[in-house]
Amino acid sequence: MDSFSSPSPGSSQQMSAQDLKKQLQSQLALEYAQQFLETVRGKCFEKCITKPGSSLSGSESSCISRCVDRYIEATGIISKALFGGSQH
Amino acid sequence: MDFSKLDSSDMQQFYSQEQQLAMVNEMVSKLTDACWDKCITGTPGNKFSSSESTCLSNCAHRYIEMSLLIMKKFQSLQ
Repeated sequence: MDSFSSPSPGSSQQMSAQDLKKQLQSQLALEYAQQFLETVRGKCFEKCITKPGSSLSGSESSCISRCVDRYIEATGIISKALFGGSQH
Repeated sequence: MDFSKLDSSDMQQFYSQEQQLAMVNEMVSKLTDACWDKCITGTPGNKFSSSESTCLSNCAHRYIEMSLLIMKKFQSLQ
């Protein structure tokens, strides 16, 4: 038995394996979210801000909103196509 | 913290699980990136047209098919 599978009382400084896993997972999730955000930003800038004006117009804002929704939807469609089990 | 005290088989399993998940995520985001450019040519609407969503799905399938073809091609070159 090691101290991680059976945390001894009093060793509050020591991190349990469970805590370590959770911490790693949340770091990975954060990393993934940041990457996703960066991609969406690039894609929607390309689509919606075709001629940058002195301020963001209403139509640009609503384009961005739709673009973000569609990109998330597209991610779902791709994911389903790859791992949903259907073959075309 | 002392990493040497970690239960290594447990952590290895965790590590390979996370590695697999990361690979899946990377694949999905790479294909979404590429297929978005191919299939979504106009301004994004309130919902995808059926041709857009079919294109996305086809795009993912064709990419896999292509990967296999390229792999075979390279094998035949050896």
